[in-house]
Amino acid sequence: MMKTYNLAIIGAGPGGYVAAIRAAKEGLSVALVTGGDLGGTCLNRGCIPSKTMLKHAEVIEHIKDAKTYGITVNDFSFSIKDMVDRKHKVVNTLKNGIKSLMKQNKVDVYQGYGHIAEDKTVTIENGGSLDGLETIQADNVILANGSKPFVPELPGIEDVDYYTSDTIFNIDDVPEHLVIMGGGVIGLEIACIFNSLNTKVEIVEMADRILPGEDPDASDFLRRELGKKGIGIHTNAKITGIRKDDQQKAVEFEAGDGSKSMIETDSVLVAVGRTPNLTGIENLGVHFDGRFVKVDQRFETSIAGIYAVGDLIGGYQLAHAASDEGIRAVNHILGEANPQAESIIPRCVYTFPEIASVGITEVQAKEKGYNVKTKKVDIAANGKAIAAGETSGFMKLIADDKYGEVLGVVMVGSHVTEMISQATSYMHLEGTVDEIDSMVFPHPTVSESLGEAGSAWLEKGIHYS
Amino acid sequence: MAKEVFMPKLSSTMEVGTLLQWFKAEGDPVEVGEPLFEIMTDKINIEVESYEEGVLLKRYYDVDEEIPVNAVIGYVGEENEEVPEEPPAADGEADDGAISQAEGGRKYTPSDVPTAVAPGTDGTPAAAVSGAEKAPADADGKVRATPAARRVAREQNVELGSVKGSGPKGRVHEQDVKDALDSTKATPLAGKIAGDQDVDLSQVEGSGPHGKVRKADVMQHTAASAQVQLSEDTERIKLKGLRKAVADKMVQSTSTIPHVTLTSEVDMTHVIDVRKSLLPIIEKQTGYRLSYTEILMKATSQVLEAHPRVNASLIDHEIVLNKSVNIGLAVDVEDGLIVPSVKEVNHKGLAELTEVSKTVGKKARDNQLTPAEMTGSTFSISNLGMYAVDGFTPIINPPETAILGVGRIVEKPVVVDGEVEVRPMMVLSLSFDHRAIDGAPAAAFLTDLKERLENPYGLLI
Repeated sequence: MMKTYNLAIIGAGPGGYVAAIRAAKEGLSVALVTGGDLGGTCLNRGCIPSKTMLKHAEVIEHIKDAKTYGITVNDFSFSIKDMVDRKHKVVNTLKNGIKSLMKQNKVDVYQGYGHIAEDKTVTIENGGSLDGLETIQADNVILANGSKPFVPELPGIEDVDYYTSDTIFNIDDVPEHLVIMGGGVIGLEIACIFNSLNTKVEIVEMADRILPGEDPDASDFLRRELGKKGIGIHTNAKITGIRKDDQQKAVEFEAGDGSKSMIETDSVLVAVGRTPNLTGIENLGVHFDGRFVKVDQRFETSIAGIYAVGDLIGGYQLAHAASDEGIRAVNHILGEANPQAESIIPRCVYTFPEIASVGITEVQAKEKGYNVKTKKVDIAANGKAIAAGETSGFMKLIADDKYGEVLGVVMVGSHVTEMISQATSYMHLEGTVDEIDSMVFPHPTVSESLGEAGSAWLEKGIHYS
Repeated sequence: MAKEVFMPKLSSTMEVGTLLQWFKAEGDPVEVGEPLFEIMTDKINIEVESYEEGVLLKRYYDVDEEIPVNAVIGYVGEENEEVPEEPPAADGEADDGAISQAEGGRKYTPSDVPTAVAPGTDGTPAAAVSGAEKAPADADGKVRATPAARRVAREQNVELGSVKGSGPKGRVHEQDVKDALDSTKATPLAGKIAGDQDVDLSQVEGSGPHGKVRKADVMQHTAASAQVQLSEDTERIKLKGLRKAVADKMVQSTSTIPHVTLTSEVDMTHVIDVRKSLLPIIEKQTGYRLSYTEILMKATSQVLEAHPRVNASLIDHEIVLNKSVNIGLAVDVEDGLIVPSVKEVNHKGLAELTEVSKTVGKKARDNQLTPAEMTGSTFSISNLGMYAVDGFTPIINPPETAILGVGRIVEKPVVVDGEVEVRPMMVLSLSFDHRAIDGAPAAAFLTDLKERLENPYGLLI
């Protein structure tokens, strides 16, 4: 007899496994079907591997800078093999954590790609053999298939070896020279890692600036900082092809003015974006919105009872956004009448320095008709930052002039990814600039800069005006 | 030393007053006895005069705001004296509440109401229990509440009298105060927008955790109001002052009292004769014209004496059989309804009754009734006889347990002794509280009343 579940979830990334636990805790019987590893891209090929490697890079940076703290390090070396091994350990620790969570919450995990039919049966292929097929029946399905690196069709790309974020964190040798196609979050973080490993890094970005979706102040600031580290950045540069050239590879691109350039390199990383993973839903017949599965505000697809979350539906394509969407889909399955207000999703870039932001940018706020007033406070004068020798960065507050409604916050600097939640809290709880001004921030902390930004916005700044 | 200006407590049931106008601006000199501001209570409009000489230093409230009794609404003192930016919390709910109420009464007395209007002085049952939906007050006007509830109310500036108590005998507990606070919880942003756009947060349904009002809720609320305004060219009248008092009382009455209405048709031939005969005599004696209302009052009061259950009040699960027969007369005033009470109707002759009821009717219309004249009725009469109305379903004026609705007198063919005759007929509609009175005794009362009106010479006995 076919096994039945209240809910079948396809994909075990942060969209899928989080939804599975929430649903199980709410009393639903849940099957989690995954063709890949528990934790999905985030844990195995994304957030966690990159953060692990970035920590290695940060330690190297500290050693390089030790002299400025009065510490002499006579000689140091690193092993890429040991670093990658440590990354494996980190990933395995977390993967085992998810595994035991599944067990604890009595979520049945099916290993194998799930093929979903409109009647909400899921056929799971086991090891690719047709004999090993198993079919389960579910009342509801959440598609959390995730995404994979998008590789554009470029002349010559099939003839050369290139890295993607799927492969670069398992690298055997540190390249001499790395050309990164794409100046987005993934490309920039990997640029910082290899810059610290002494690779000559060059970024080629089609838009007029790196991190084109973020606040221009932040992307300009980061560009200067990366430039100081020796990372080459080519913007307004459209890649026209890749050639194999002896042992080397040649990346050809065209500048905005039509002039053609070429970079010779030993390695290439393609980081121009991610495309939804449609394995198992090719024949389902859900509606699409461009490349992405189309959903309503309850994350339900065009087929009732079949939901989709995470990278599959586009949007921010962030792990925590996927988790939030998964939980919302579960809430709807559980019968929540009205969807809650749209979530406020913070965004973190773990470059050196880090960038963290939440809400809308100044430009978006103006487009939406707000009476925008902004205040930018440099971290350079912050006591804790000076003590730590990490003075590069700023905090920018974007608020509506009428009620002091916080519309967005952009933070650039060391550790800002740990501080953005404070700004998110204000927005989530609808605190206004007056509350930022009146709240007490601990001293000395870098986070004080947010309080200063609030006070200065109200023209009541203590250290800033 | 600057002196506080308090919201006076003008009756034992008064909890808030609505500020109608300020006669003085901040900085204006004020003489003793000069009117400072005008307020409206649930019963009357009153000008309040200053008992201090000096300068009006501070006005904490704007016109149309509802202000709890004994709240400091301003300061009078010497020019440039420092006074708080925010009004000090009213100490009316504190343990020394009774004392501060007395002080409030001494310092600022309404210019046209005697100072004797202190809590509990009229001693009538009506005064002690009206406002039954709120927290019950002790005989001295103090709200029943636990010390913790008083502390939280003081800290959070919540008027205890407005909190519904969940404890024994309606005692207010700490949690009740907190719940009352929670009911209008809003995010700082939502609060600012509501304040700016004059949105009453308690009217907004919150979508946040535990019903917290968020920005989107306020926006939706204002958008919905705007929709109504756009759809038709409406005029909007805020429920406040007397209108609100009437509205609240009607809701309270109809939602708590199981009403039953009986009707009976009365042959008014002899009443008409009696009125015709007495009218010139009474007019000569008092200057007032005798109307059917007074004859109805007189007849009703006599029948009530024989039916004490219909003259009863229902107070706190007790049926109180009233010794006096005090009849409330529903008087239509501008945008509202006032029910002045005519005391001891059974002991008054028709001449005196005519004089008294004409006087209170005029005072009601002129807004000059004293609190004592508005309380204490044990039965009410609502006369719509001047309109083309026969029978209706009058709403009981609690804690009374019955009310008589009077229709027009109209000539009709009726059968008298087997013959069809044209007689002046009038319909009486008696609504009674079925918790206190059953159908049969109510019917007996109405039958006796019909009898008495058809043979009005019994009035002379």
